[in-house]
Amino acid sequence: MQTAAIPDNEAARLAALYELLILDTPPEERFDRIAAFAAQEFDVPIATITLVDADRQWFKAKVGTDLPGTGRDVSFCSHAILQPDILLIPDALLDPRFADNPLVTGAPHIRFYAGAPLALPSGLRLGTLCLIDRQPRTLDALELGILGTLRDLAVMELVRAHAPDESLDD
Amino acid sequence: MTEQLRDPAHILLVEPEPMLRRTVAMTARSLGISQVHEAASNDAALRMLRTRTYHGAVVAVNCVGNGNERRYDLGLIDLLRAGFEPGQGMPIAIMTDQATPQLLGELRDRRISRVILKPFRAKVLLETIEQFSAARKR
Repeated sequence: MQTAAIPDNEAARLAALYELLILDTPPEERFDRIAAFAAQEFDVPIATITLVDADRQWFKAKVGTDLPGTGRDVSFCSHAILQPDILLIPDALLDPRFADNPLVTGAPHIRFYAGAPLALPSGLRLGTLCLIDRQPRTLDALELGILGTLRDLAVMELVRAHAPDESLDD
Repeated sequence: MTEQLRDPAHILLVEPEPMLRRTVAMTARSLGISQVHEAASNDAALRMLRTRTYHGAVVAVNCVGNGNERRYDLGLIDLLRAGFEPGQGMPIAIMTDQATPQLLGELRDRRISRVILKPFRAKVLLETIEQFSAARKR
């Protein structure tokens, strides 16, 4: 298993994450419905809005898992935040970075992963909107576009954290 | 794609559910498929129809009334077909919860291009919008 590198801007990234005052807060409908929409749209058993902390990943919203998060050392999302584009892993068993990851060899038995980095306007990537399936698959261009849009909606909610009345509700 | 970005098709999307509506509109824009104009209700759509020309429409159709008076509200479709010059020939798709023989008959009379049954994915709406945009280019 390959543990993800630490981003060069890690100190600034963590400072921006902590400034949002969102870690370990209760679930919120405005994030939950994005994760629920993603799970339904892509027909995946697990979808999360994940924030990558110093030594853990924590789920702000989640569908299909009761875990609050996992260690950063086994986190797929820690790899996803290293790049600006969506990280697509069609089959984790065929990827040397993840083939012997305990989240692949054991529960939740990840085979497919797609993680869209949650980048602030500053460019700092705090986490991902991610999709997980227990069987190999991929996403076409239209689906990648939809995942990118849902990620953008999640970022809009993150940066608008103090004005919930202006959320997606009409 | 470049041509589409320069001269995008303008599609009217009438859908009350904000996340679905916004996801479709933002994705269509980011992929250069078309410019999707969002209306949360028929009233909002009517206001928007007075301000610009559209090359296609995707409209949620719901039941109204009670008991024996229940019927599908096709008022906006009728206005598009009869009341607004550009709307008379534009492709129209509708989203609805079920396709009864009566509804299908009424839709046939109104030259509806496609019926999308709930539940559906945002991807299906985008594929429909993509087809409407491509048809406009031909």
